[in-house]
Amino acid sequence: MMHSHFLFSTIWIPFLCGLTFLVLVKDVKTLGSRLLGLAGVIVPFIFAWVLYFNYDASHVNAYNFEFILPTGLESLGIFLHLGLNGISLPLYLLSATVGLSAIAYALFSNAERLNLYVGLLFIMFSGLMGTFASVDLFFFYFFHEFALIPTFIMIMIWGGVARHAVALEMTIYLTLGALLSLIGLIALYQQSGAEAFNMIALKDALQEQAISEVLQNNIFALLLFGFGILVSLFPFHTWAPKGYGAAPTGAAMLHAGVLKKFGLYGLLQIAIPFLPSGSETWGFWLLFLGLGNILVIGLITLAQKDLKQMIGYSSVMHMGYAFIGLGTFSILGAGGVLLLLVAHGLSVALLFLLSTCIYKRFSTYDMSKMGGLGQIAPNLSVFFAMAILASIGLPGFANFWGEFIIFAALAESETTRWVLYLAVLGIIISAVYGLRAVGDIVFGVAQENRVSENASSSIGDMNRIEKFSATLLLGSLLLIGVYPKVFSDNSNETLQNFYNKNSLSLNDGYVDGLNIEEQRDHE
Amino acid sequence: MDILTNLLSILFLPLGTSLLIIALGKYRKQYSSIVAFLSSLAALGLSYILLKNMSGSVHYSWEWLAFGDSKFYIGLLLDNIGATMLAMVSIVALCIVSFSTGYMSEDAAKGRFFAGVAFFMFSMTGIILADNLIMIFLFWELVGFSSYLLIGHYFQKEEAKSASKKAFIVNRVGDFGFLIGIILTYWQFGTTDLELLSIKANLDPSLINSFVGFLLICGFIGKSAQFPLHVWLPDAMAGPTPVSALIHAATMVAAGIYLLIRVEFILTSEVLTYIAYSGAFVALFAGFCAFAQDDIKRILAYSTLSQLGYMAAIFGMGYSGIALFHLITHAFFKALLFLGAGAVIHACHHEQSIFKMGGLFKKMPITAITFIIGTLALCGVYGFSGFYSKDAILIAANDYNTTLFYFLVLGALMTAGYMGRLIWIVFFGKANSEAASSAQEVKVVMTVPLIVLSVFAVFVGLNAYWPFGLGASIVSDLDHLHHLSNYKDIHKWVLILGSSAWVIGLGFSLIFYGRGSSDDRLQVKSPKIHAFLKDRLWIDEIYQFYVNNIQKPITEFLSFADEVILRGIIVRGGAGLVGIFGVGFRLLQVGKLNNYVLWFFVGLLLFWLYGIDLF
Repeated sequence: MMHSHFLFSTIWIPFLCGLTFLVLVKDVKTLGSRLLGLAGVIVPFIFAWVLYFNYDASHVNAYNFEFILPTGLESLGIFLHLGLNGISLPLYLLSATVGLSAIAYALFSNAERLNLYVGLLFIMFSGLMGTFASVDLFFFYFFHEFALIPTFIMIMIWGGVARHAVALEMTIYLTLGALLSLIGLIALYQQSGAEAFNMIALKDALQEQAISEVLQNNIFALLLFGFGILVSLFPFHTWAPKGYGAAPTGAAMLHAGVLKKFGLYGLLQIAIPFLPSGSETWGFWLLFLGLGNILVIGLITLAQKDLKQMIGYSSVMHMGYAFIGLGTFSILGAGGVLLLLVAHGLSVALLFLLSTCIYKRFSTYDMSKMGGLGQIAPNLSVFFAMAILASIGLPGFANFWGEFIIFAALAESETTRWVLYLAVLGIIISAVYGLRAVGDIVFGVAQENRVSENASSSIGDMNRIEKFSATLLLGSLLLIGVYPKVFSDNSNETLQNFYNKNSLSLNDGYVDGLNIEEQRDHE
Repeated sequence: MDILTNLLSILFLPLGTSLLIIALGKYRKQYSSIVAFLSSLAALGLSYILLKNMSGSVHYSWEWLAFGDSKFYIGLLLDNIGATMLAMVSIVALCIVSFSTGYMSEDAAKGRFFAGVAFFMFSMTGIILADNLIMIFLFWELVGFSSYLLIGHYFQKEEAKSASKKAFIVNRVGDFGFLIGIILTYWQFGTTDLELLSIKANLDPSLINSFVGFLLICGFIGKSAQFPLHVWLPDAMAGPTPVSALIHAATMVAAGIYLLIRVEFILTSEVLTYIAYSGAFVALFAGFCAFAQDDIKRILAYSTLSQLGYMAAIFGMGYSGIALFHLITHAFFKALLFLGAGAVIHACHHEQSIFKMGGLFKKMPITAITFIIGTLALCGVYGFSGFYSKDAILIAANDYNTTLFYFLVLGALMTAGYMGRLIWIVFFGKANSEAASSAQEVKVVMTVPLIVLSVFAVFVGLNAYWPFGLGASIVSDLDHLHHLSNYKDIHKWVLILGSSAWVIGLGFSLIFYGRGSSDDRLQVKSPKIHAFLKDRLWIDEIYQFYVNNIQKPITEFLSFADEVILRGIIVRGGAGLVGIFGVGFRLLQVGKLNNYVLWFFVGLLLFWLYGIDLF
């Protein structure tokens, strides 16, 4: 029971912290408010790890740390119902880690109206923790919007070039995506006849009676394209690079690193396991469009000269691996997707963080105007090179396992094997743009006229907070990369339960497959 | 110390060293070289203890990642082949690190250098000890990373920037096939464990197929710089010379051959035939290219390419033991040659063109003599280590196929030719530059490794005297050759041809190039041939053309289409169309973000009110 309170408090602590910063704190640069800010992220971070160590993977078919509060919406079957399973736990931890890194960095940054900036980041952080901790589908969606709105506001206020147009485009596009997925979720709820609007009830109801094939296809399409827009599925990706290009560091880190994973999380946790025949119908599109992400966007990434745009496009590209991984409908594929989501979240947040650090040294994002970072800031160069190598899938970093497992899953069945040959081309493409960026930025001689005047003399190498935020993310990437078992053991049970072939395919009797045997075991 | 602890300490000692050097912080400059030296000494000691205590082979395995029924393992496997590699790598590494302490003594970033070398040793040991293909791939990419790091050591130079990038990307192209090959092997055999694979392949040969085999050898083609992915190796000479000796001559590039030996049993005869022909082609092609180079390191790089071709050729003929034999002898004499070149470059103040050297024999006698010993070993002169392995290769080739045999004999002639050119011009005659005339013999920390390596370059060919039963597969392959029906005739013929190859090569290069000349006689006399050789079949140009004239326009067009057509016209236009139909909604969507926030909360409130039954 105590642990469920931990789970709930990782949502309200950042929320209250955010309100405090928005309303009460005037000057963030005082010791007191900085301590408050740090406490507001470190406590949820620690709680999240406590939950990780207390997670019991053998809880068959159920969520750990369940927590239910009435909301006044009981008539609609809506409760504030929290809990973690093997799919949400890794993303929940990801959110705690990236949140700590981004907010700690923001607390010591020089943004204007810093109290507002930090306050909004806290609200966003609280929404992120809530999204992945929700079992209830209304709150799953609600917390997502809760985190999304501060993103728009932050781009509007602190954004870069053309921020108004970009923020508006992003708002309309993402709202459309969210709306489609909401319609899909409501339709699913309504058709399933579940007693409550949450994942457990939905799963039970669908196991008892699957919904008709036509309906499954339609609902799956809503979810696929709704969630797809949110994850920048090709060709619905155009908001992403521009949006990230304009977003301030903290917002880009939290959005690209964590919030964006909402869509894939929805597909992984809800759409595919709950709509087996719908996903079979749309499976080809998952693979086909995912390949679009990898190959088309990969080639577009090659043409980028702006560092932030390049990271933005590369992030869109890497989502392609996740889509094709989902397209395998196998335990292995789903595991690979989960690994990749966490790995990509950490590495893209790290890259956005470092790109800001690099911007401070050169006063530009144009890579052709950089060079010689190795001389100006050796530590930053090492971090940047590591981050790029992690994101292009060098073994030793988490991304490698994600990509590798997805590739392996593609070859498991003859029907998806053709995708493998095309998808692996991605490792060459990403090596080209990644190493080109390292070459242009780190290598070469630092020329005085290239380095902004105040930068070369006063900034120098990384300061403590930059090092802290970057080390946290890089360290997590290494931890999973070196010993992926820290990760797979908890998720394996849930994935086996959700992605077992027997419970997936309609032909083998979706209703009386393996799940009934499990129920017998229970008795 | 039990075997497992011993194995783990051999694997992790270099990693620890690398981390320790990074942790030294401001003391890095002072202590990194001594730390690296002591660590390589300890690694050699640990390997010695291990080999002494070991009998037969050991295999440990741990589950590392599992989803559903698919499990992936990390493990350690040390058998006779691995032990042979381990012994060679630890000896060569110790010599090279010792040499580096002198060579890099004035480098400002030597901490980074030694940390990189130690990390490379960790990755290389990982490849040697890996018990399955996935783990090999893991460390395969890590040696690639260390190589990238060390080629880019002088990162301010434009040359280092492009060379390091090129090495990594070209290797990734090879890894593309290798990775697919590993994955297909996994599903085909249900495992990538090397021991299990060999058992399963023996039990059911129908599991083996050429397609997977060709994919697997892509890894070898990239790492061992075989045609057409050989382009990165000559450029990789932009790194510090000890790195070229360790990574780009003795160990990492040979890892490709090691991989072949590891997966021999799942390669079909088509794959083997391809490897044999492609190897023989590279052996000759690279030999020709070496004649048009004037950078001492690039000449040696082409020589490495050519020797890797020999190893590939003999492997393809079915003698993996002799491939291993040549790998080991080559590692010692080529490391010696590169370190000798390093000593020359060091003494000539980083001058690398052979036509600006000359007359160094008298000024640097130890370097010169050891370099000549290395050259004789490389040319396969009787009594030197290279003779034994090359002799075996030529005998096997004669038995296998006449065309390949003459390719390889011609390759040997080329080898002696370009090495003779190098020796006569660099060490004899008159000094051709300021730097060369003021050159002096290098420090003791640098000459001792040269002497040690030259002892190996002479005697390592006597494989019957190797300790701890190392090189068992070499013995059995040689045995097989000795029992060929017409062994005596073949051997006589090979001895005559092989010896005349080096006599003619060395002699003719002396006559043609002369001693210590300051210009390239071939370029003067026949510029057309020189230019043709310098163009190296235009492979680099073809790749360059692809990147600039094909890939670049495509990426730029796609980028334009994405920005203008998709984002600008379809998405924006689509939004505009919706706008026209929804004039009524205009009031709500005035384009201010505040309104969206407001409407979100209004909607939420309405929803809530509905939920609590107010409507």
